[in-house]
Amino acid sequence: MAPSFLFSQFMGGLTTAMFLFLIASGLSLVFGIMRVINFAHGSFYMIGAYLAWQMVQWVHPAGAGFWIAALFAASGVAVMGAVIERLFFRQLYGREELYQLLFTYALVLILGDAAKFVWGTQQLSVSTPPVLAGSVQIFGTTQPLYTLFIVAIGPAIAFGGWLALNRTGVGRMVRAAQMDREMLDALGANVGTLYTGMFVVSAFLAGLSGALVTPIQGIVPGMDVLIIVQAFIVVVIGGMGSFWGTFWGSVIYGEVLSFGILIFPGFSLFSVFALMAVILIVRPWGLFGRPL
Amino acid sequence: MRLRHHLSLLLAAAASLPFAASAEDAIKIGFPIPLSGPTAVYGEPILKGAEMAVAEINAKGGVLGRKLELLSRDSKASADEAVRLSRELIIKDNAEFLLGTLTSAEAPAVSTVAKENKIVFIAPSAKSTLLTDAAHIHPYIFRVASNTDVEGLAGASLMAKFQDVKTVATIAPDYAYGHDSATAFIAALKKVRPDIEVVDQQWPKLGEPDFTPFINAQMSKKPDAVYCSLFAGDFVTFAKQAGSLGYFKAINNRLLDPGEVGTPDAAQALGPDYPYGIIANAYDPVIWTGAEPPEHKKFIEDLKAFTKTQYASGWSANGYELVVSLAAGINKAGTTKSDDVSKALAGLSFDTPVGKRSFSVQSHETFAPEYWGMMVKDPNYPFAIIKDPQALPTSFPTN
Amino acid sequence: MTIETATPASSRVIGSGSGLMSRVPWTLVVFAIACAVPWIGSRYNTFLAEQIAIDALFAVSLNLLLGTTGLVSFGHVAYFGVGAYVCGILLKTYDLPFIIAFPAAGLGAGLFALVSGFFCVRLIKLYFAMLTLAFSQIIWAIAYKWNDVTGGDQGLPDVPFPNLDWMTAIPGLGSLRTSDQFYLLTLVLIAISLAVLHRVVRSPFGRVLTTIRDNPERAAFIGVNVRAYQLAAFVVAGTFAGFAGALYGIFSRGVFADYVFWSKSAEVMIMTILGGMDYFWGPPVGALAIVWLNQEVTDYTEYWPFVLGTILLVLLFVFPGGIVGGLDLLWKRARGWRGA
Repeated sequence: MAPSFLFSQFMGGLTTAMFLFLIASGLSLVFGIMRVINFAHGSFYMIGAYLAWQMVQWVHPAGAGFWIAALFAASGVAVMGAVIERLFFRQLYGREELYQLLFTYALVLILGDAAKFVWGTQQLSVSTPPVLAGSVQIFGTTQPLYTLFIVAIGPAIAFGGWLALNRTGVGRMVRAAQMDREMLDALGANVGTLYTGMFVVSAFLAGLSGALVTPIQGIVPGMDVLIIVQAFIVVVIGGMGSFWGTFWGSVIYGEVLSFGILIFPGFSLFSVFALMAVILIVRPWGLFGRPL
Repeated sequence: MRLRHHLSLLLAAAASLPFAASAEDAIKIGFPIPLSGPTAVYGEPILKGAEMAVAEINAKGGVLGRKLELLSRDSKASADEAVRLSRELIIKDNAEFLLGTLTSAEAPAVSTVAKENKIVFIAPSAKSTLLTDAAHIHPYIFRVASNTDVEGLAGASLMAKFQDVKTVATIAPDYAYGHDSATAFIAALKKVRPDIEVVDQQWPKLGEPDFTPFINAQMSKKPDAVYCSLFAGDFVTFAKQAGSLGYFKAINNRLLDPGEVGTPDAAQALGPDYPYGIIANAYDPVIWTGAEPPEHKKFIEDLKAFTKTQYASGWSANGYELVVSLAAGINKAGTTKSDDVSKALAGLSFDTPVGKRSFSVQSHETFAPEYWGMMVKDPNYPFAIIKDPQALPTSFPTN
Repeated sequence: MTIETATPASSRVIGSGSGLMSRVPWTLVVFAIACAVPWIGSRYNTFLAEQIAIDALFAVSLNLLLGTTGLVSFGHVAYFGVGAYVCGILLKTYDLPFIIAFPAAGLGAGLFALVSGFFCVRLIKLYFAMLTLAFSQIIWAIAYKWNDVTGGDQGLPDVPFPNLDWMTAIPGLGSLRTSDQFYLLTLVLIAISLAVLHRVVRSPFGRVLTTIRDNPERAAFIGVNVRAYQLAAFVVAGTFAGFAGALYGIFSRGVFADYVFWSKSAEVMIMTILGGMDYFWGPPVGALAIVWLNQEVTDYTEYWPFVLGTILLVLLFVFPGGIVGGLDLLWKRARGWRGA
C-alpha cells in the first residue's frame, strides 16, 4: 500500500469529513441549546443546494457567480429557518419533545415535496467555480483545489465557532443556555431571540454546506434523507452540543468510511452505524460531549 | 381515466365487479419507470419514446380497434416501489400489460408480479442475465434490452484492440447488473486476450453520491484501462469526481463504459465536464456520422417534434420499441389475452428505428447490439458525441 | 400526555359507559366486516384491507412502547424487517412451511429486540431514540449488503404463499383465490395478536408500564424494576412487529431492504399518533386513515409526502389526541349536552 495512496484515501476521508462537519455543526448547535434533533436539517441542506443551482442559472457563468450563489443560498435558507422557528417551532417549546421531533419530520416531508415541485425530479449539476477548478500535486497524488478549499474551511469554521462561543458576549449566553436555560431566562436574558438566532445560524450553515457540495455531487431528490442520518452519526460520535466534538466526530466518520472500503468493502455502510451504536452504548454523550 | 375507490368497511356495499371483459375501450398498459433521482435521466426519455409510439399507433386507429393508454408511475429505481406500483396497476387500474422499469433490480422483481398475475411484461433496459435465464424465464417476460453477455463481448472485443494494455480494472454498481456486467466482460476478455490481468474491482452502491474513496483505491492499483459499468446520474457524478482527481488522465482515457453514456442524454448532463476520449455506447447514437438509415432519420425528426427538444434522446428508441413490439404481438395474436399475446411475441420480428429485432423463442430477448465509439468534441454540438458509431458485437451466438 | 390519569390512558376505550357505544361489540363487528371483504368488495378492496390490518398490528405494537410505556422508539421498523426477512427467507430459500416460518419470524424479531432493547432501555429519552435508530439502520445496512442471504439491493422477490390447501376443506373458502385465502388467514392471525396485546395492556403488567410512563422515578421508588419492565415491553412489541413483518413479506410477495429504512419507522409513528396513542384502538384507526388517504390522494397528485406532512402539522398543533382523541372529546361533549 503506497504512502501516496494512503494519503489520497486520507484526503478523501477528510473532504467527506469537512462537508459533514459543515452540516452537522448546525445540527449540533441546535441540539446543544434547544435539546431538539432537527430532522429538517437535511432538508435545509438540500434547499441550499437547489438555491445555489438556481442562482447559478440566473447569474450565469460570471466568475464570482458561484460564491454569490452560495451566499444567496445560505441566506435564503437562513430566512426560511427564521420564519419556521418564529411562526411554528416556538409554539411547541413547552410541549413533549416527541412533538418537536415530529414537527421537524413534518418539515422534511413538506420541504422535500416543495423542492420537487419547484425544481423537478432530475439530477442537477453545478460546475466547479473556475478559480478553484484546477488541482495540485501533493505527495504524488492529484488533489483538486476545491477539495483543499473544503478541507481548509472546516477547521476555519470550527475555530471561528469556538471563538464566537468562548470569547464573545453572545457566546457566553449561548453556553449559559446550554447549561441551564431556565436560569438564563430568569436572569432576564432574551431566550426567545437567542433560540431564533441559533436556529437561523444553524440553517445558514446547512444551506451553505448544501451550496458548497454542488460542484462535487449531484443535486437529487432524496439527498435530504440520506444526509441527515450521516449528520446524526457524526453528532452522536462527537457529542451533541460540542463544536469540536462534531469536528472530530466528522473526521472519524470520514476516515472510517474512506478506509473501510479497503479493509472490509461492503461493510463500511454497516460500520458507521455500528460505531454510532457503540458510542451510544458506551458513552452516550459522545467523545467530547457532556452528560445531559 | 381514473377509477375512484372507497374503502367502506362499515357499509356492506357491493363494490366493483370482477374485472372480466368490461366495456372499457382503451388497452391499459402499466408503465412503472424511474422518473426521479439519478436514473430519471434515462427513465424519462424511455417513457417519452413509448408515448410517441402510442400516439402514432392511436392516430392510425389503435390496436384491434382499441386505443392504447399508458399509465406511467415513478418507480424511483427501487425494486420495492416497482413491485408495489405494478401490483396496484394490475389490481386497481386494470392494466392488461406491463412495460417499463429501468434497472436490473426492478425488472426481475416486477417479472415475478407479471408471472403471478399472468400479465405480459416487456422490459426496455434491464441487462442482467438473471431476468430471462433458465431459472427465471416464464411465458410473460420479454426484453428489448441487450444483456450483459452481449455487452461484455462487445467491450472485450474493443479492449482487445489496445495492444499495450496489460492490466485492467472494473468499477461497477454493487447490484445484479453491475456484477453480471463485470463478470461477463472479464470472461469474454479472457477468451480474446488471456494475457490481460484484472488488478482491481470496485463496487460503489447504486446512487452513490461520493465515489472518491473508490476512485482513489482504483488509481492506486495503476490499471492500464478500465471497464466501467456506471450509468445515468451515477456516471455523471463519477465522471466529475474522477476527472478532478486525474483518474482519466492516469489511464489515458482508456475507459470503456457499456452503460449507454454515449447517449446525448448522458453527454448533455455532463456538458463540458465530459471525459472526452473514453469509449461509450448507446442503443441509438442519435447523431449518426456516416450512412444513416432513413427510418432512423425520420424517427429522430418525429421525436424532436414530439418532445419539443433541440436534441433527441438516445433512449427513446427503446421506449418506442416496447410499444411497437407489444402492438405487433397483440395484432398477431388477434386478442389481448395474455397467453395468446405471449405465444405471439415469442419469435416475433419487428422493425425498430435502429434495425430489425426479434424476441428469441427460448429466452424472449433480442440480444440487441449497441453502437460503440470514442466520445469526441464536435463543433456542431454542445456535447460529446460518438465518433463513427459501430454496432457491436457483430455477431452473437443466440439460442 | 393527557390530563386525565384516573383511568390508565391506553386501556380506555371510547365512550365507555352506558349507551349504544358500549353495547355493540364494535371490535367483533369490524372483524366480521373485514372477513367479508373478499365477497363484498373488489380485489383491490381486499388488497387495501390486508395492508390496513398489517399496519394496524405494526402500529399497535409500537404503541405498546410509545403510548403505554412512554418509550419513543425511532427504530421499530427493525423488528418488522427482521420478521419479514426471517419469514421470507425460510419460506423461499429453505422451503419451510408457514407453521415454522411464521413463529420463527416472531422469535427472531423478539430475540433481536431482547439484545438491542437491553442496551436501549439503559439510556435516557433522547439517547434511547437515537440508539433505536442506530440499530434499525444496522439492520438496514445488513439487509442491503448481505446479498447472499437477503438479496441485497435486489431483495427477495417472489416470496411464495404458504400452502393453503387445508383451507379448501372449510366450507365456502375453497372457491376463493389464494390471495384471498391468505387474506383471511392474515386477519385471523392479526386478530389473535391484537387480542393478546389488548390483554397485555389491560393486565397488571400493562398497568405497571403506564405507571413507569407517567413517573419512572416514582415507579422505581415503589420497588418496580423499571429497566426490566421496559425491556419486557420492548421484546413483546418487537415480537409482534416481527409477526406483522412476516405477514407483510408474503402479502407483498417480496421482502426488500427499503422496508427497513428509517422513514418507515416515522410512518408507523405517524399512524400511531394520528389515530391517538392514548387509546388501544387509536393506532388501527390511524392505519386505516393513512392507507385510505394515501390511495385517495395519490389518485390526484404525486405529492403525498406533502399532504402527509400537512396532516402531521395539523395533528401536532390542533389535534394532539389524534382521531380517536378528537372523537372521544366530541363524544364527551355530546354526552355532556344530554345532561348528567
